[in-house]
Amino acid sequence: MSVWEIVELARHPERPYSLDYIRRLAPDFIELHGDRLSADDPALVGGIGTWHDRTTLFLGHQKGRSVKERVARNWGMMHPEGYRKALRLAHHAAKFGFPIVSLIDTPGAYPGAGAEERGIAAAIANAIMEWFRIPVPIVAAVIGEGGSGGALGMGVADRVIMLENSIYSVASPEAAASIVWRDNSRKVEAAEQLQLTSREIIAMGVVEEVVPEPKGSASADYDAAAAALDEALHRHMRPLLEQPSVELLQHRYDRFRYIDSLIQAEPHFGPKID
Amino acid sequence: MAILERHQEEVAIQGGELPEILLPTNCPGCGIALQPDALRAHNYVCTECGHHFRLGADVWISLLADKGSWQERWSDVRSHDLLNWTVPKPYQETVERLLEDGLNEAVRTGTCTLDGKPIWLATFDFGFVGGTLSIVAGERLARGMEQAALSGAPYVLVSASGGARMQEGVLALMQLAKVNAAVGRLHASGAPFFSVLTDPTFGGTAASLALLGDINIAEPGAAIGFTGPRVIKQATYADLPPGFQSAEFQLAHGQVDLVRSRTELRPLLAHLLEMYS
Repeated sequence: MSVWEIVELARHPERPYSLDYIRRLAPDFIELHGDRLSADDPALVGGIGTWHDRTTLFLGHQKGRSVKERVARNWGMMHPEGYRKALRLAHHAAKFGFPIVSLIDTPGAYPGAGAEERGIAAAIANAIMEWFRIPVPIVAAVIGEGGSGGALGMGVADRVIMLENSIYSVASPEAAASIVWRDNSRKVEAAEQLQLTSREIIAMGVVEEVVPEPKGSASADYDAAAAALDEALHRHMRPLLEQPSVELLQHRYDRFRYIDSLIQAEPHFGPKID
Repeated sequence: MAILERHQEEVAIQGGELPEILLPTNCPGCGIALQPDALRAHNYVCTECGHHFRLGADVWISLLADKGSWQERWSDVRSHDLLNWTVPKPYQETVERLLEDGLNEAVRTGTCTLDGKPIWLATFDFGFVGGTLSIVAGERLARGMEQAALSGAPYVLVSASGGARMQEGVLALMQLAKVNAAVGRLHASGAPFFSVLTDPTFGGTAASLALLGDINIAEPGAAIGFTGPRVIKQATYADLPPGFQSAEFQLAHGQVDLVRSRTELRPLLAHLLEMYS
């Protein structure tokens, strides 16, 4: 399969979205709304559900399937209010000791004037910083598109896994082409250069596991895809539940602080440590 | 006021010692014919219209560090071509040419004194691949912040950056998390963090450390935001009003504490260092 075919699979309109997984993982899921400041961002869903006998907070980017729903969900592109809602719910989870599962599926944060006016940069910056202080276990999974700061704003976790046909990138191929070539039609070349497939991402040491998808990709069998995701998420979550929170936060810090250590360990490949 | 006046005098002295930079013949702000020496003595701010010229890391260090106090750290960490990036230009060649030109990555950091007070200073250099956040840049920032958190020394940041560096892929994106983890430590330590935002500060740099200062100070007219105007127009077909994403726009929208001319920056920082000591 070519890199671009994987990008298309990750973005496939029939691919299961966050709610498709969450409702299979926790059938009693109750969605909770709002950032308690000004709005509710429909591009990010959040709520509680019983998962492996434990109340768990689920967060996830949500794309829409019909044209109407896509517009309502803003194609899964969050506004500042979404990051504020996520942190509000994370503090809620911390209060009650609920673990957090975060599903990532976004082309990026919303690139529009309104998001800029309401401080999207600071909202993402603050979210990334605050996740390091949330004293409950967090496991994140990239289930489709992991695009840029918009994805990372929901992706600071104790373990991060990826579905086989998902992508994780510093920028969408279109945005990277626009930045590097000043021409977003060079997206295929950009995708190839970016090394954004799950196989390449795990080789860089950025995720802990790649979860295989059912034959014909996750789009072909929602139940099997959800079962595989469920098993992997829970296997990563289980040991975290036993960890004292001080240790958990230290490990989360180290996970990202030394995330490029595979590169650093190569003497002629990356920054030299003095 | 006496303190401020004393600092104002010092600015002039400091300004006279700034390295020379490449300048156009006319000011892009008002079109006046530029007089390099007068401009240099005015911290590279147009004496007519107040246009702020972009400065490299070396000029920022001369501007803020007391003479002879700068001690650079981790200057030997180097960028490498992690992704075998070849088109449209080989990344390794780009980096090597910039190093030959005397630029040392998109971020330089070290310790110095500012008006006699010891600080950690980090400054972006827009001339190095658009001041983009790379593994080396992230490493220098995180290490400096960890050191500042340990010693309790104030941390001063000057940003000028297009965001994360495309040519280092997802590992460049991960620098946002690496650096912000360290910003959290810095804040928890009680050390003050003063962030100076200059033209331009965008993308992953705006969405990580640059807007997380205890006090965010922007230079007049600096463009600051997450998504650049070209991409916003492409994505939304929106007409952006004049001044969109300017420092003054960000002040009005609650993202920065102050907009101050570069001619006032050093005395302002010196005064803040005194107030937060």
